[in-house]
Amino acid sequence: MSGDDLALGLLVLACAGMRGAGLLVAGRLSPDHPFVRWAASVSLATLAAFVTLAVVAPTGALALIPLSGRLLGLGAALAVLASCGGLLAPLLAGLGGTLLGSVLG
Amino acid sequence: MLGAGLREALGAPALAMAATFLAFGAAVQAAGVGLGWALAASLLVYGMPGQMVLLAAIGTPGGALAAVPGAVAANARFVPMAVALAPWLGGGVRRWLALPFIAVTPWAMAMRRLPALPAPARLPWFLGFALTSWSVAGLSTAGGHALAPLLPLWVLAALLFVNPLYFGLIIAAELRAPFVRRAVLLGALAAPLGLLLPPTLALLGAGLAGGSLAFLWGRRERR
Repeated sequence: MSGDDLALGLLVLACAGMRGAGLLVAGRLSPDHPFVRWAASVSLATLAAFVTLAVVAPTGALALIPLSGRLLGLGAALAVLASCGGLLAPLLAGLGGTLLGSVLG
Repeated sequence: MLGAGLREALGAPALAMAATFLAFGAAVQAAGVGLGWALAASLLVYGMPGQMVLLAAIGTPGGALAAVPGAVAANARFVPMAVALAPWLGGGVRRWLALPFIAVTPWAMAMRRLPALPAPARLPWFLGFALTSWSVAGLSTAGGHALAPLLPLWVLAALLFVNPLYFGLIIAAELRAPFVRRAVLLGALAAPLGLLLPPTLALLGAGLAGGSLAFLWGRRERR
């Protein structure tokens, strides 16, 4: 087994452990329990931070998309969401906006 | 109800998963790593930030082993997500069937749908949605690995951007709920904090700070 395979195996075990710990701790709690509400709040905030950083200060491959592409993609997605609802049409509009902004930018 | 979850996963969630995992498969191929490793990462880790941290470390002087703690930290959001999801999956041992599938996409859609479903229908709905998303992730990883030489970098980047776009849409669609509004606002405001932390801790730090403040704000308003 190579070092890369061993690293992947360790990460798999750690991720299963983290998921299992959450299920074990909260399995008998109600959705309104303060601990569960705190965890939901942290999860949502993490998601919001992820989206914010991906648009405003991306790293890795995302940084290859010019700011105009990221903003145009997000703007197009939100505009279609506000006017039509659903998720698929806004997402396709967002992808189109991102590609257009990347080409123009 | 398994079928209802399956059908719901085949729309926007499948597109978001396909784009992200296609880009990951292509990145693994570009790094000179085999399809087996790519599939194991996508299907068994099933958490993109951690997968990317590990992949980026392959071939560096420290190697992937040195990157494991960073990859674990990057996926540490699994703990609060599993805590928030667990009460909706029922109290029996069957809820452990959900364990391998707890990831952002199934979690985000489950938190929208499960509260409105009768209790016996919740776990089947989640398993139907999650198994479909997981299958899409595996197939897309294999597709990306095969198609890598044909995909220019800017297309791969745009495909990766579908993931934050999708999550942005999910949270924007839920902003009517004050609980969501507070968490999203403070999470977004806390995001710059993430820039001060090591990259693998950035999201966790911003989420903990913003989410905890939003929770305290909500408790204060309830009183």
